[in-house]
Amino acid sequence: MNNEKINLDIKVPTTCSLETRTCYSVPIGPVHPALKEPIQFSFKLEGEQIRGVDIKPGYAHRGIEYMGMKRNLVQVLYLSERICGICSISHPLTLTQAVEHAAGIEVPPRAEYIRTIIGELERIHSHLLWAGVGAHELGFDTLLYLSWNVREKVMDLLEQLTGNRVDYAIPIYGGVRRDIPEEKAHLAYEALDYYKGLLQDMIDAFLHDKSVEMRTRNVGVLSYDDAVALCAVGPTGRASGVKKDVRWDMPYFVYGDLDFHAITPEDYGTEPVGDVFDNIIVRLLEVDQSIKIIEYCLENMPQGELTSIPKVAALLNILKKAEGEGIGRHEAPRGEVFHYVRLEAGVEEPVVWKVKAPTYSNLMSWVPKFMGDEVADIPIIAASIDPCMCCMDRVHFVAQDGTQSDRLEEELIQLSREKTRRGSQ
Amino acid sequence: MKPDRILESFKQALGDGLLESHVVERSVGVVSPQTVYDVWTTVPRERLHDAVAHLCREFAPHISVISGDDLGDEVALNYHFTVGWSERAGEITFTIRTVLEKTDLRLPTITDLLPGALTSEREKQEFYGISFDGIPDGRNLFLPEDATIHPWRKDLEAETAGQVKRLVKWETRNE
Repeated sequence: MNNEKINLDIKVPTTCSLETRTCYSVPIGPVHPALKEPIQFSFKLEGEQIRGVDIKPGYAHRGIEYMGMKRNLVQVLYLSERICGICSISHPLTLTQAVEHAAGIEVPPRAEYIRTIIGELERIHSHLLWAGVGAHELGFDTLLYLSWNVREKVMDLLEQLTGNRVDYAIPIYGGVRRDIPEEKAHLAYEALDYYKGLLQDMIDAFLHDKSVEMRTRNVGVLSYDDAVALCAVGPTGRASGVKKDVRWDMPYFVYGDLDFHAITPEDYGTEPVGDVFDNIIVRLLEVDQSIKIIEYCLENMPQGELTSIPKVAALLNILKKAEGEGIGRHEAPRGEVFHYVRLEAGVEEPVVWKVKAPTYSNLMSWVPKFMGDEVADIPIIAASIDPCMCCMDRVHFVAQDGTQSDRLEEELIQLSREKTRRGSQ
Repeated sequence: MKPDRILESFKQALGDGLLESHVVERSVGVVSPQTVYDVWTTVPRERLHDAVAHLCREFAPHISVISGDDLGDEVALNYHFTVGWSERAGEITFTIRTVLEKTDLRLPTITDLLPGALTSEREKQEFYGISFDGIPDGRNLFLPEDATIHPWRKDLEAETAGQVKRLVKWETRNE
């Protein structure tokens, strides 16, 4: 694909201006049972067919980049973890890379392996979560319960390895904060064996099921050309046959040592169509790929330091003196996460912090996916890119009367204290 | 893809239009280290569209995001592209930087070349107050439709502050 030219004839999808007597406008969202997070779709319908769609995100804005540029870098790291609850390791992993590149901080090999392992465990849990959501959107709730039931194993493992089900707080600039000791590695092997034995069942349940196939084949199609022109990332692009995977294209951590490739429906033996069915194929096969990557890492992890700068005070001092700009990239479960930071000497905060989440890139691929499909397919097509609004919307904006409210802060602290007080319900 | 090749073709295509360029090399991997590259370039804003057109013609780029940087009297925009994907360790990040005076924040859109840039252009439009000539959809994206403030402009912080509800006092410690 490398030197092929992009098809430049693709029209930028914008609002449908189709206004005929048979054309109806139907808003879905910002809050709607078909959506797991707030976003507004305004559909233009002709009968049951979708003729146009306008997408308005921004309902989960919290101002995280703005806040980040007012905090020191260690605080920003923990803030970045809270950009998204599902890819809660992807953002800190990317931010640490960006800052390490800007400040020239080295990372010891063992830390690179641990980062890879936790990142891949997150991919397993995210893809299983998506499988459940996908099944639910198809109206196949038995499969939802099955998927989320088996997902618990990896959540338990993450809790045993890091202390938390989400927000693992593992990376720090220059390394990681926690080791995976020998006595815990066997838990990981046990979980991997569990998934290895289960994957074929998952594939049977999803890909060999008549009703799943009928609901998803040729539904929500994103063509290869559209995927490239609209810069789709992750499984959304790969389902359309775009072999784009940051881990393979521009390796980081230990991915440069690994033998793997970007998964497309071809690995399942079918031609990429770019429909919802292909999205399921790619995500299920990636679970298998992650299992193999984690196994390799557990077996080959060298002994050694966890971080090159163990003391946080020393780290802050180095970061305060650092000057430069850096890019961090990571293949999150949903696609490419991109962070850009610029540091200035003598300033504790990052002068610029730009976060790009996968849904930000995949936002526009929704438009060709919806076109021509039916109203009943809206929930599964919306879910097919595995959207994560809170990742994408990061800026909070509340139109107030112009005054700052101290009362709100006190109220929130009061509420949280009441909630967590010993003996309280 | 090797950065020399792409930089060389850029120099030929843009001539004086390439104000600055440098390549940052990094070694990745533990057992069998490989080299990956970040390329940083600066072009004047009159040549930005040409530069992106050249990139699209020759190298099939992917745009990750456009980041902005408030420099005081100027706003710098970094167009973060990646080129050479699908090649093992062959992808490089290619950043095109252009600097705009705050008195004249206008740029041509690149969505005619790369439709995927629309989300990012709309975001820069609302957050920095930059106008992109020829943008097919210039409405606010993340901010409410009627919002007129530009939250990432440091000279407009007072205006933004009036409309953002602060939850933590710590944020105001410098003010």
